[in-house]
Amino acid sequence: MSAPSLAPFIKKRPWLSRWMKPLSEYYCHAAGYRQLGLRADDLLPEENDVVQTALKRLRPQEAYDRVFRLRRAVQLSMSHQLLPKEEWVKPEEDVPYLQVMITDIEAEMAEREDLESMIIQKRQKNAAQSAQSGH
Amino acid sequence: MLSRSTACRGAQRAARQQAVRPAQRGLASPASGSFQYQSGEAQGVKYASRDFAGPTTTLALVAKAGTRFQPLPGLTEGLANFAFRGTERRSTLRIVRESELLGASLTAHHSRENLVLEAKFLRDDLPYFVELLGEVASSTKYLPHVYAEEVLPMIHFAHKRFLASVTDMATQSAHALAFHRGLGVPTASSAPTPYTKYLDAETIEWYSKMAYAKPNFAVVANGADHGEFSKWVGEFFENVPSAPIEQTGVGADQSKYYGGEERIAHDGGNAMVIAFPGSSSSTGKFYKPELAVLSSLLGGQPAVKWSAGFTKLGQAAAPGAKVKTTSAIYSDAGLLYTTITGSAKAVAETAKASVDALKKIAAGEISSEEVAKAKAAAKFKELEHGQDIRAGLELTGNGLIHNTQPYQIDEVAKAIDGVSEEAVKKAAKELLESNASVSSVGDLFVLPYAAELGLKV
Repeated sequence: MSAPSLAPFIKKRPWLSRWMKPLSEYYCHAAGYRQLGLRADDLLPEENDVVQTALKRLRPQEAYDRVFRLRRAVQLSMSHQLLPKEEWVKPEEDVPYLQVMITDIEAEMAEREDLESMIIQKRQKNAAQSAQSGH
Repeated sequence: MLSRSTACRGAQRAARQQAVRPAQRGLASPASGSFQYQSGEAQGVKYASRDFAGPTTTLALVAKAGTRFQPLPGLTEGLANFAFRGTERRSTLRIVRESELLGASLTAHHSRENLVLEAKFLRDDLPYFVELLGEVASSTKYLPHVYAEEVLPMIHFAHKRFLASVTDMATQSAHALAFHRGLGVPTASSAPTPYTKYLDAETIEWYSKMAYAKPNFAVVANGADHGEFSKWVGEFFENVPSAPIEQTGVGADQSKYYGGEERIAHDGGNAMVIAFPGSSSSTGKFYKPELAVLSSLLGGQPAVKWSAGFTKLGQAAAPGAKVKTTSAIYSDAGLLYTTITGSAKAVAETAKASVDALKKIAAGEISSEEVAKAKAAAKFKELEHGQDIRAGLELTGNGLIHNTQPYQIDEVAKAIDGVSEEAVKKAAKELLESNASVSSVGDLFVLPYAAELGLKV
């Protein structure tokens, strides 16, 4: 579910990160989802197994808040309105609550794949023994 | 043209078999190891091991976290079901797959006093599994979704199984009557309240920091070299907390015996448990070997097929009833109980007969031959129990945590040898004088009250 991103590259370099930060803030504001009361993680496509599993793992309160935000945004969108300015999602509220879980789940799935396609090698000692006894 | 390998295959095979044979040991050859456990302490972690000759090892972490010591109901079950789930370093799946590749089996179970994490594996893999147990104890991740998806359903199943089994219900109820809190707490949730009201992942994590603190657990190995084992224990148990996060003092008091009667209506069968105060473990303070002898004298289950057996209850049981006498031993108390199951009528008759049998023993109406048989049976049971690796590990760990001495089966067997006929009669008399704990589950119209049986409650 994670798209290729330059963010880690930029974050590692403080000077570059300082330089990009205003740009990113401008971009997030211009994207307009915060004015509808959404967080960035609310925009992730949820029609796949990974995100569905992640959604199931949300705490009840978090899951409720997410649905509330989505419904409010749909309502606003249909009535062609924005939230009043004081209700816009502030940058510090826009936390990746789902992305962390998605990363975990992807790691789990990748691990399962790895273990399924594992090639087993006998330990040298055991291999030597079984060769000797002709099995 | 014959290749060299084909030509001399026969000779090679002959030579090889000659070479291999002395190294192999038949299954029936006597083991050189003894019952005695060697114990020690590495960086505050207590451990014991015995070098039982054989290609496999059984390793157990015995924690003082049984239902007796849980500060909130259901915590022990939760912790047992969280064992071998994902840790900081490995996921659940990796733990399972890796142990499968090594041919090992992992189990976690709990009793009234102990939580036991157990691993059985090939001898060479000792370091891997000591590390795994260390990891489970120190860095299991108690995640809410793991609790909801994997742990909670198991607790719920245990609860359903408990409700369906009259024997379990009667045994738990007898323990509750006998000890009220502490040892009386049921080992499986008797109602959904514990796990709907008190239990969640965070609480279990908090409890794990008490259960897996250095003074509260012991690591016991059967079939491992003591030197090597102590080295690995010292290395892999560094990260466990050195003191419990909180001292609750739950279950720490000396168990007190109360007694009483409980009757539960149930349509899934009939069971009666008649219990008396018993003997503590030999590592405890109230050890009475004569109760082990009395328990096998009352008995109920034949040791030889197609016969009722020599035991008093085996002969007295009404047709259609199953009788069994158990001497349950705990660190500071015990319960001697007779479990009777079967049709309501047969259970009622057998209950009456079993109290009569006990009265006869107390009055001295037994032959010395029967006592001798009971002693032999008790000794055999004890030694067999000691050879049963699982029980031995738990008892040893229990002894280490509570009294800092391992459970030595040889000594227990000696104590049983020293029991006199008078001691058995006296023990029976004392049982009848004390308050009994009587629990009846099933058809209450037929099942008798304790007073009808002639017992004091």
